[in-house]
Amino acid sequence: MIGWLRHQKHALAAALRRLGAHPVATLLTALAMGVAISLPGGLYLGLGHLDRLAGDLPAQPEISIFLDAEASNAQKQAIAVRLKQPDIAEARYVPKDVALAALSEAQDLTDITAGLTQNPLPDAWVARPHTASREELARIAAELGKLQGVAETHLDSQWAERLQAALAIGRTGVWLLAGLFAIALVAISGNAIRAQVLARRDEILVSRLIGATDRYIRRPFLYVGALQGLLGGLAAGGVLAVVGTLLRAPVEHLAGLYGSVFHLLPPSAIEIVAVLGLTTLFGWLGAWLSVTRALHQVEAAR
Amino acid sequence: MIQFSQVTKRYPGGHEALSGVNLAIEKGELVFLTGHSGAGKSTLLKLIAAIERPTSGMVSVSGQNVGRLPQRAIPYLRRNIGLIFQDHKLLFDRNVIENVVLPLDIAGLDRRESLKRARAVIDKVGLLKREKANPVSLSGGEQQRLCIARALVSRPALLLADEPTGNLDAGYAADIMTMFRDFHQVGTTLVIATHDDRAITVLGGRTLQLDHGKIGEAAA
Repeated sequence: MIGWLRHQKHALAAALRRLGAHPVATLLTALAMGVAISLPGGLYLGLGHLDRLAGDLPAQPEISIFLDAEASNAQKQAIAVRLKQPDIAEARYVPKDVALAALSEAQDLTDITAGLTQNPLPDAWVARPHTASREELARIAAELGKLQGVAETHLDSQWAERLQAALAIGRTGVWLLAGLFAIALVAISGNAIRAQVLARRDEILVSRLIGATDRYIRRPFLYVGALQGLLGGLAAGGVLAVVGTLLRAPVEHLAGLYGSVFHLLPPSAIEIVAVLGLTTLFGWLGAWLSVTRALHQVEAAR
Repeated sequence: MIQFSQVTKRYPGGHEALSGVNLAIEKGELVFLTGHSGAGKSTLLKLIAAIERPTSGMVSVSGQNVGRLPQRAIPYLRRNIGLIFQDHKLLFDRNVIENVVLPLDIAGLDRRESLKRARAVIDKVGLLKREKANPVSLSGGEQQRLCIARALVSRPALLLADEPTGNLDAGYAADIMTMFRDFHQVGTTLVIATHDDRAITVLGGRTLQLDHGKIGEAAA
């Protein structure tokens, strides 16, 4: 056990020496890995922000019922009665004057609305049904649409659902992309290690002659691969931090134009640790594949 | 300690380096392998250290059938054998003491203890003043002594030397042979392949004459 720990310590020290001996090669490999990882990483963060944006919107589906301008009082009464049925959790009447006032206030359109000679908006109800199932909602919306005096009904959850569906595609895309770039990471690491194994051919042959096991020979290379992966992960963090800094002002400006306050948030500590752990793992894996193969070649070429 | 029975080694391509060799070397013996170049001296040493495997027959070292040893067991066999090469096989990316300490690192010894032992061995071969030097800067004789130091540092019971004085002038060669005699006197088993007859007459010991892969014993 002590011998094993001592071997790990030696191997780690040797790996650090090897990385330090070729700082430019080490940095270039880390950068190649960093750029590769930052693509799925950046997409993941971007989707997270879109998700957050969608989450701020009413998730509760609502049905807007716009009344016909010529609807009679009896028809309006009938509609109000229908909306007291138990399948509706809550219904709120929005007279057209209130709607216009709210519109001009919310979107800062006072100048335009003040110039209107006539209110173009219809009276409306906003109803929130109990159910969340899409079929039920569609059925209720259709039923309400058939009532006398209703001009149109609108299911407000539709666009949110579409956004969610688009985000789901995006999330799947991120995982596919992450998988592809994980393979790229393994390849980059494997290639770097292969070159190192061949450069250390003599050392490997001599070590074998004086009793080194394959595990002993492989160990420093595995540490180099893992450390290189870790550096790649950190480089990706650097790339994303730069991108985030550059994007912050334009994003906040755009959000301001929509009358919203929206900030770019850095990834959570768990996400950072997970990414660094995975890049370390994939760097190690690339090194393992490469060194195992290269050792066979060295053996065969002896 | 070492036993060959009906050992034949044929290399890919058909060259037969050893043909039906039988021999036995006892613990503590000093044995010279002689013969023309290509007679099979190096092959015989390689079979003992499991660097090559016999085509047929059995090679046994300390009771282990070396020819049938699984790949993963070979490193542990080699740790008990000191190998001395004609071309030294030193590593030029590290200094003298780091070369000598390598077998102990491989065996997983404590670093401080390793360095102490390495220094003692380097002192024994007379290179203590050069311990920080790169082996490139050493003379041929010094490189050979460094190779011997590396073979000795793990205190092996068996030393195999392939033409240890092959490239050296007479003075250096005599030094190294004197060193071998000292190891022999403390009980190390030595098998030395050489065509240096002077050394054999100085040191005594048994001589095995190889001729075209066949063995004949000559009294020394």
